[in-house]
Amino acid sequence: MRLDSIEICGFRGFRDLVQITFGRGFTVITGRNGVGKSTLCDAVEFAITGSISKYAVEKAAKESLSDYLWWRGEGVPDAHYVKVSFVDDDGELFTITRTRESGADHSVDEIHAMLCHSSAPDDALRQLTRTSIIRDEWIAALSLDLTETERFDLVRSALGALEGSEAGSRAKEVVAAAEAAHSKDENVYGAARSRLTDKLTQQSEAQAALSRSGDLSSALQIIGAAAPEAPPELTERLTAGRHALANGRVRLDKMEDALQLGREVALAQAAYNAPETVADREAALAAHEAAQREYQTVQRAVLEAEQRLIREEDMDVMAASLSLLVEHGEQLGLHEDHCPLCAAHRTSEEFAAGLAAARRRITSLASGVQAARDVLAAAKENAQQPSLTLQAVGVKVQAHANELRQLREQEAAHVEFYKQWSIDPRFLNDPDGLEQAISSERGRLIDLERALLVLEASQAVAQISSIESSISTLRSEVENLAQAVSKSKNAVTAAREIERSVRRVSAEIIDERLAQISPLLNELYQRLRPHAEWKTIDYSIRGDVRRFLSLKVGDGLNPQFVFSSGQRRAAGLAFLLSVHLARAWTPLRTLLLDDPVQHIDDFRALHLVEVLAAFRLDGRQIICAVEDPALADLLCRRLVSTATESGRRLDIDHGPLGVTNVITEQEIHPMPVSVLRGLATA
Amino acid sequence: MDIFTQAEILLRDSHYETWRWTGSAGSVICFENAALMGFVHVFDTADTLLSTWSANQQAALTRHAVSLRGAGAKAWNVYSVFLTPDKDMQQGRQIERIEENFSLTRKLARASITTPDDVERALLPLLSIRSKPLLGASNFETRLRTRLKDIPPDAVIALLNEATPADVARILGEVS
Repeated sequence: MRLDSIEICGFRGFRDLVQITFGRGFTVITGRNGVGKSTLCDAVEFAITGSISKYAVEKAAKESLSDYLWWRGEGVPDAHYVKVSFVDDDGELFTITRTRESGADHSVDEIHAMLCHSSAPDDALRQLTRTSIIRDEWIAALSLDLTETERFDLVRSALGALEGSEAGSRAKEVVAAAEAAHSKDENVYGAARSRLTDKLTQQSEAQAALSRSGDLSSALQIIGAAAPEAPPELTERLTAGRHALANGRVRLDKMEDALQLGREVALAQAAYNAPETVADREAALAAHEAAQREYQTVQRAVLEAEQRLIREEDMDVMAASLSLLVEHGEQLGLHEDHCPLCAAHRTSEEFAAGLAAARRRITSLASGVQAARDVLAAAKENAQQPSLTLQAVGVKVQAHANELRQLREQEAAHVEFYKQWSIDPRFLNDPDGLEQAISSERGRLIDLERALLVLEASQAVAQISSIESSISTLRSEVENLAQAVSKSKNAVTAAREIERSVRRVSAEIIDERLAQISPLLNELYQRLRPHAEWKTIDYSIRGDVRRFLSLKVGDGLNPQFVFSSGQRRAAGLAFLLSVHLARAWTPLRTLLLDDPVQHIDDFRALHLVEVLAAFRLDGRQIICAVEDPALADLLCRRLVSTATESGRRLDIDHGPLGVTNVITEQEIHPMPVSVLRGLATA
Repeated sequence: MDIFTQAEILLRDSHYETWRWTGSAGSVICFENAALMGFVHVFDTADTLLSTWSANQQAALTRHAVSLRGAGAKAWNVYSVFLTPDKDMQQGRQIERIEENFSLTRKLARASITTPDDVERALLPLLSIRSKPLLGASNFETRLRTRLKDIPPDAVIALLNEATPADVARILGEVS
């Protein structure tokens, strides 16, 4: 995209219609001071942005630039408008017409869409004209004489919209929103604290009034003694006093129970240890021992009789078996002089004598069973009475043992009761002392209850209770609000961290981008060679919130202070041209220069021409207005004109009626090639 | 480094036609494009350069006088380049002063030419813009997420997803 043509009528010094077609390669415009060379640059800027930014003072003597945009000289123009046409690489035209009456025929968005890519910076059209049109006034103002912050902003804008630039503004808004929320929370918190302070003052005053009342004062002392750990607030003290009274009552009941228990234990101990009871227990024990001895004696006799009976019954069984054997042998008789039972050789006499002897033995064996039965029956009868006696005496002894066990259990329960209710153990065996302590405690509780009644009945107390209730609520509210303030404060801190990080990441990206364009700046500086000794220029960036871009030459010297005005302009031009070339966000490949060589010597003007020639070699369109015709000649010779990107030269001047016009218009044709080889072709 | 060779490389890279011509004073590189033409002279020492540059310039112009007379306006665009690897600082300044002599040709005169970069710096007025910054994507979001690892992720997501600032602040307040 480059400038194709411009048409001006009734604009600033151009009363009559002037049409200029620019060379696609370059256009050199010459003319004396004040003939309107700058107006051509103004017209381009005005067509794109609707204003001319080189006039920093908007108003002077109640007039502004807008009063001088249109023709104010003699005569009346046919119309008041500026028409600027751009042409893209495919030959498509885009024309902006801006008239005095109806403004531009395209919206800002439409112009933006044609001249800027999506990555364009904020206020892109103004940035576009600012970095496309290099004016004499700006070479100093926008280069070395800029503050370091302004210089940084200019370069950042030239780099175009960086990713995250929107995030930066959003992060700022987040900080503002978090701060607003925090401020609101703090205000609410402060108001609550103020209310709390008021209530505390009221409480203090009411308590002072309370302390001046005698009854109330002594009542407070009694409650303070009963509940020494209670908080100073009256309501809390009353509550603590009530608790102390309730606890005291329970304790008093238990002390009375302990006294009852103690008295019962003492009675039981006295009964158990009475002399007649002790004698009765000893007699029972002696009788029990005697009865046991007699019982053991008769039991031994019974045991012996039972053993004898068992033995006799065994022998009786043997006699019955022997009787059957004898009867069987007798029935069989001798068998061939031999005994049928033992097969011994026996005679009939010997056999009969043997049978008789056997029958005597059988009789002898069977006769002892009955006698043994009789002896056992007698022994059992003798044992019956001692057994009954022992049983009766044992019951008596057991009764005494039960009495002792019950007494011990009663004593243990007594001790356990003292422990359970934390009663002074000194009173375990001193019921009278305990009774005295109970009486004292009862008196203390009566005093405490009276004191509580006095306080509760007091109007001041009612007032204090109300205040304290409010204070309690307010304290809770203040606590919650303090937490909310703490949270919102943390949110502000986090939001600031986000904003800081966004800024830092953006700054790092800008730093990296600047590092990337640094060689370009240095190359242009070397080409323009503002100073014979300092052949390179460096930049440095510093600052976090505000960013500064410093230019240094030599051993860290600021060129702003060591260069002459011409050298400063040359260095400034290097800076502005590098900014122009660094723009990746616009398809416009046109550089307009309005008298860029003022205060620059011929040698450095030549360097500038060579730099512009290098721009041309890069395919850029150069439009340069100069006053000096010789410089115009040099430009026309030095800038490349080709068949497709030709050059033009225009001379403008005032006509006979003082109206600016194009006096001459010349096509700059391509130069012959292969001259040195002697093969020149045009 | 051979200064002649390096000069030809650079000039051809910038679409100049170059060729070598050897005259009585030695070799000269001739170059020409659509707008310019000229000669590169190389000297062994600064002394030689200072004492013979004018004669060498004249010899080259004389040799090509016929062609130059037929070149029209292009004849104004003749460059004489005088280079030496000699590093004499004092003479280096004298050599550079030659450039301020505007008679006959535009002159580029430099001493201490020992590297390809030195040759490029000396020939810069003849070359197209060398530095072409390539500004790629900066991965802002990824870098920001990494930087904000201590901030609740929900808030960062909301910020990057263009939730309202009040919503982002609210999320920060809830999780703080």
